[in-house]
Amino acid sequence: MRTSASMFKRALVRLNSDIGKAAFVAIGYFVGAEIAFFVGTLSDKIFAPLWPPNTVLFCALVLTSPKRWWIYILAAFPAHIVVELGVGMGVLQLLVAFITNALFAVVSAAAMRRFVGERPWFRDVRKTWLFVLITALVVPAVVALGGAFVPILGDGSIEDFGLHWTQWFTSNSLGSLALAPIALILLAEPPLPSAPALRTVEALVIGTALVVVCTIAFEVSAGTLESGFLPALLYSPLPLILWSTVRFGASGASGAVLIVSAVLIWRALNGPSLFIASDPETNVFALQAFLIGLAIPVLLLGAAIEETRRAERTTRDSEEQMSFAATSANIGLWQHNLATGDYWATDHCRNMFGLRANSTLNWETVGSVIHPDDRDMLKDTMRAAVRSSVPAECEFRVVLPGEQTRWMTARAHATYDDEGSPAQLSGLVADVTARKTAEHQIELQRRELAHLTRVSVVGELSGAIAHELNQPLTAILANAQASQRMLRKDTPNLPEIGSALDDIVQAGSRASEVISRVRKLLKKGESRYEAVDINELFRSTLNLLHSELISRRITVQLDLADDLPLAVGDPVELQQVLLNLAMNASDAMSSISTHRRRLTLTTRTTKDGFVEGIVSDQGRGVAPDQQGRLFEPFYTTKEHGLGLGLSICSTIINSHGGNLGIVNNKTGGARAIFVLPAHRVMVAAK
Amino acid sequence: MTEDAFTVFLVDDDADVLKALARLLRASGYDSREFASSKEFLREHDASMPGCAIFDVAMPDLDGLALQQALTAKGIERPVIFLTGRGDIPTSVQAMKAGAVDFLTKPVDADALLVAIDNARERESRDREARAEMDFFTGRLATLTPREREVFGHVISGRLNKQIAYDLGTVEKTIKVHRSRMMEKMGVRSLAELVRLAERAGIEVRRY
Repeated sequence: MRTSASMFKRALVRLNSDIGKAAFVAIGYFVGAEIAFFVGTLSDKIFAPLWPPNTVLFCALVLTSPKRWWIYILAAFPAHIVVELGVGMGVLQLLVAFITNALFAVVSAAAMRRFVGERPWFRDVRKTWLFVLITALVVPAVVALGGAFVPILGDGSIEDFGLHWTQWFTSNSLGSLALAPIALILLAEPPLPSAPALRTVEALVIGTALVVVCTIAFEVSAGTLESGFLPALLYSPLPLILWSTVRFGASGASGAVLIVSAVLIWRALNGPSLFIASDPETNVFALQAFLIGLAIPVLLLGAAIEETRRAERTTRDSEEQMSFAATSANIGLWQHNLATGDYWATDHCRNMFGLRANSTLNWETVGSVIHPDDRDMLKDTMRAAVRSSVPAECEFRVVLPGEQTRWMTARAHATYDDEGSPAQLSGLVADVTARKTAEHQIELQRRELAHLTRVSVVGELSGAIAHELNQPLTAILANAQASQRMLRKDTPNLPEIGSALDDIVQAGSRASEVISRVRKLLKKGESRYEAVDINELFRSTLNLLHSELISRRITVQLDLADDLPLAVGDPVELQQVLLNLAMNASDAMSSISTHRRRLTLTTRTTKDGFVEGIVSDQGRGVAPDQQGRLFEPFYTTKEHGLGLGLSICSTIINSHGGNLGIVNNKTGGARAIFVLPAHRVMVAAK
Repeated sequence: MTEDAFTVFLVDDDADVLKALARLLRASGYDSREFASSKEFLREHDASMPGCAIFDVAMPDLDGLALQQALTAKGIERPVIFLTGRGDIPTSVQAMKAGAVDFLTKPVDADALLVAIDNARERESRDREARAEMDFFTGRLATLTPREREVFGHVISGRLNKQIAYDLGTVEKTIKVHRSRMMEKMGVRSLAELVRLAERAGIEVRRY
């Protein structure tokens, strides 16, 4: 079937000029008409059960551009004349017949173009239904109003108009149903990828079986069969038709319709068949009605099957594409049916959890490879995803046997059934170990750099720190020597010596505090996040800077909020920020007159409950061209600056979930403002 | 040594240091007055009390050197010992030039501090004597008659009686009388002594 079709098609292609095609159409028109007349000998009152010329012309028009339709209509005209003259038709009859035939083809083709649209036409139900409606119902019905006059113009009578109309209608309708679909599919619809040999064999088997069944079942000598078995016999080709349709879609459906139509008409030509009415007209009508009634649902079924199959293929393709894309992106996809409790996951997803491709999926198998500390959190995240329509996300660790820990991120979102209860949880899993490692590396480098700049700040402050140590040492030495002197006296003033010793102890602990502050700044260690009193941090920073500020002749104004909430962070790193900001502010005031050198330190709570610290100076402020570059590493306006201070401060504050900015004061100078989340905010967020 | 009243004025913004130094001074037999800031010192200290001052160099508002200048500007001559956390040379040079008795580095040893205080005390009493001598000299100078004052001016310039008589339009004998009365009033026996006192009093010697 297929090979002859493709030869047919190749032949068409070879006739690649319009003239050639037009000649081909003319021949088709002629042959079709001759066949119809040959069949028409069945009954001398009607032409044929179906009228192929119209189908030939219709197919030609459907397949060409409307601008060229006239060529084919003109080409068909001589064929029409030759054929009709051959059966002795009058000129007027012949012209009316041609006009109605041409009208059928033109109106059907135009309506197809307008309402059905582009090919393929028989692979979806809507288009097929429209095709049937246009070419097998509406247009034949309308055109038959004119066609009915053809026999009347011959020797017919106007009283038989109804009969003639019916004849014209059914023969055109059956032509559209039995011939046009298979012709259009073979000529115009994209061929399926070359079928395997087995499928070709299957098609041949079905076709042959259909021919045989139709031949045997319908060839019944009148009266040899009890009428009770008629319905069963009528249904006998149906299994084969359905088989063909189910297996081969639209092609199978239209092919089967063609075979059944051809065999039945052929059998009807050769004697009695199942259609056993007394007059041939009724038999032909019965045959036509049977075929039309069969063809319409079968064609629609074929289209429906194609549609379903295409939808399945699309779903499968997109599933495969998604799965491929996900695997390429190192993402695992999974679904959890909340009603049945079933899990589904891509192979890659299973692989990420160290599970084999066909292993059972449930919470136990998956949970066993998840880091014990993260299991509850993951469960909570999934529960949260079920509860809310917003996707939930979390990061967790997977510990694979014999391998190091991998970091994963999971994202889940629930879909709901019609009643609004969660039906399915679906999501993805991505391996973010590389990102986590990089983050960790960056954090380490940040700490390293922070430490280095801290060391450099301590170096810068070494003089001031020495002075801070000197003060308690001076007090200790003086108290000790005073005590010695008092003891040398005849009546030592013991209470006074006691209070001198008390003072020595106090000064000693003061000195050790300085040492421990400096040691903390110099120490490199794990970051320890704890609740931090920023006010206290401001005070202890001022203590460290005390003598430095005095020697720079800078006065300090402290404006600390009483009810400042605690912040969360690494006190050493935060102190480093304060030290840096205060030193920057001091540097900024080195060139202004001493009585104006005032450093203002302010803390307060922002409207949103954040902790805000402000270090304000009276220097020259920030020039507009410096503004954007202040936080760039190695950008400095100082002669001996490394340009790392502010950049480090900014990264430290950012890593604490805060924000650092520098703006100019209206009254001169600049102020650095940092904002940190309050302790209770952080706790609430957790 | 301690029979005369002598007070040590301590100025340091560090309370611990201030208290400890005061204790040390008391244990060593000195009176001390403590001031926690330069301003407090300027406001409250009694310039008439004999004694010396110990200033911390690094203090807010007015540092030690500025405080010394403020004292000088007020015409108060008080020996000053500086204490500093950082013994930087430029500061110490500046302090010594401005008349500091000593410039000591914290933590300061008691003996070094007491030596400095003794030096200050000596300088204080020396200054006091010189000031007394000067007061005496200027008092005498005020008792001279205008003519004797004129003769005094010429005599310390090293002029001879004859030259003086010529300049003043009189005779040598008269000048001799004025001169001997002037020497008697001034309480000096030699010309050399008179010239030394005049120089110390800053009286300009005219060159003829």
